[in-house]
Amino acid sequence: MPYDALDFYDVDSLLTEEERMVRDMVRDFVDNEVLPKIEHACRDGVFPDEWREELGNMGVLGAPLKGYGCPGLSYAAYGVICRELERGDSGLRSFASVQGSLAMYPIWDFGSEEQKNHYLPKMASGEWIGCFGLTEPDYGSNPGDMITRAEDMGDHYLLNGAKMWITNGTIAQVAVVWAKLDGVIRGFIVEKDDEGFSAPEMKGKHSLKASVTSELVFQDCKIPKDRILPGVKGLRGPFSCLNNARYGISWGAIGAAQACFDSAREYALSRIQFEHPIASYQLVQNKLSWMLREITKAQLLAFHLSQKKDAGTWIPEHISLAKMNNVDIALEIARVARDIHGANGILDEYPVMRHMANLESVKTYEGTHDIHNLILGRHITGIQAFTRSLE
Amino acid sequence: MTIAVLLKQVPDTTARITISGGVVDEAAVGKWSMSPYDEYALEYALQLKESGGADLIAITCGPARASKILTDAAAVGADSLIHVLTEDSGMDSSNVQSLLAAAIGRVGADVVLCGKQAADTNAGSTGPGVASILGFTCVGMVSEVSTDADGFIAMRMGPSGNEKVSVSKPCLFAFDKGSMEMRRPNVRGIMMAKKKAVETLTPSDLGVSLIDSRVSLESHSAPAEKPPGQKFEGASSVPTVVSKLRDEANVI
Repeated sequence: MPYDALDFYDVDSLLTEEERMVRDMVRDFVDNEVLPKIEHACRDGVFPDEWREELGNMGVLGAPLKGYGCPGLSYAAYGVICRELERGDSGLRSFASVQGSLAMYPIWDFGSEEQKNHYLPKMASGEWIGCFGLTEPDYGSNPGDMITRAEDMGDHYLLNGAKMWITNGTIAQVAVVWAKLDGVIRGFIVEKDDEGFSAPEMKGKHSLKASVTSELVFQDCKIPKDRILPGVKGLRGPFSCLNNARYGISWGAIGAAQACFDSAREYALSRIQFEHPIASYQLVQNKLSWMLREITKAQLLAFHLSQKKDAGTWIPEHISLAKMNNVDIALEIARVARDIHGANGILDEYPVMRHMANLESVKTYEGTHDIHNLILGRHITGIQAFTRSLE
Repeated sequence: MTIAVLLKQVPDTTARITISGGVVDEAAVGKWSMSPYDEYALEYALQLKESGGADLIAITCGPARASKILTDAAAVGADSLIHVLTEDSGMDSSNVQSLLAAAIGRVGADVVLCGKQAADTNAGSTGPGVASILGFTCVGMVSEVSTDADGFIAMRMGPSGNEKVSVSKPCLFAFDKGSMEMRRPNVRGIMMAKKKAVETLTPSDLGVSLIDSRVSLESHSAPAEKPPGQKFEGASSVPTVVSKLRDEANVI
């Protein structure tokens, strides 16, 4: 059966014709080139290189960035791209999020003119893959206490430390790495072949299996002086990247939820138990209508946020709410969809268990569910609850 | 060289079709798309344009909604777009052919590509009809076309295998399923398409006086429902099953 994207309130009619054409383009790519290969990619634990190439050919990488060979689309279009990619797989959307929002964006916003001209066109075309090094083994939700250090050696910087959970790390030509220089967080562009840099892949994931996850290790890694990002100091640098990536995730999660809903509806209508399709039973209908309700709310949330992003009237807390809510409901929808599929739900013949396992990561990365609640809690009360002095 | 590609907007092959008052209810069609055989024509028109530096003009005939497929054609590389605006969906094939032929004449195209039939009516008359009005050579059931020194080489599916034919201008190619699928657009193409103007022409702009339709639609009806499946159990049913497979299903 062809994919029937749930859009109960016809929210996509609020998009521009151009945004809908971008949607159809990415949907076609996912139908014809991602879904036929995704289960093999997951079993083999690889991100197929032809997907990188086609994302570059379509011109969707770094979607909302303008100039330097970047697409210059709206944030609404960027959201739609994330949604359609994640309908295929969260790992695929992760690749695009990291490339565009976490690696290209800081160069675009905080880089020198030379850095922008050197890196952005090749990253927009997909020729170079980027990654983003912020999280460390002991510093996840608390990146401000990172250990990785940069030292000014006169004619170069020396980088020491390690990053973990880095999407695209092993396959990237370009890493945007955040490290403390004289106690202040700064961004550095590290290239694959830099001396003292290695990026071993992390194996054994039960989630995002078609995505490459790595460590980044810096042992007296020499970085030329012109590879520091001149335009930002402090946590504002990485956080502004994360805002854009989290925005994309708030759309992406809807795609995963739509895929699970589509599969659950199809399955419920065709699966006969006690002589009738299970879709005819009230318990199953209740589950399907709950999915429809939550997906519709998530779509309206994401669409309105896209308008605020494009108008520049957003605050980071708006993004926290959308990321947290939409991933939360998508994960629960994936679980309920697995339940509707019964035992068949655990097979890779259906997408639901894969989405479910992926969304466990999506719930945790880019600000955990709980951290986003704390961000909102601080917004509501004016009191930060991330940490306190223990007696 | 000026190439024209004729495109028709039809209900998407996945759209649910309902019949109301004896005819297909167009207002109830959820999704409209470019007719699939026309997509092959467009892909090969783009390839001809790229190999020979031609100007590619996409032409459609239909109501206002049909201009969407022209924008889709622009997104993959059509240079200019002509929409022959007609609101009468009951217009017969000969009127459509006259309008398309006039539009082709207006832009001076000497090579025309189109689908062999539209996915909604399956009439298959547009290509040959337009070629006949214009006095163009018509090659049907084409799966590939390329340029050569004297004109074009087309691959077509003959009754007993593939046929390779040589054709010179002016000519029209009516496409069957092509060897290559229509390319996917990219963001750059989509953004350019937004800026590309659609030239909208009425029959009178084209100097065509529509004639009374010589073929008129009496009614549409849904295909007959498939008979329900039959279930047989146990070894004793084998002879019955075999005879049904042999005499009714004709599969053994």
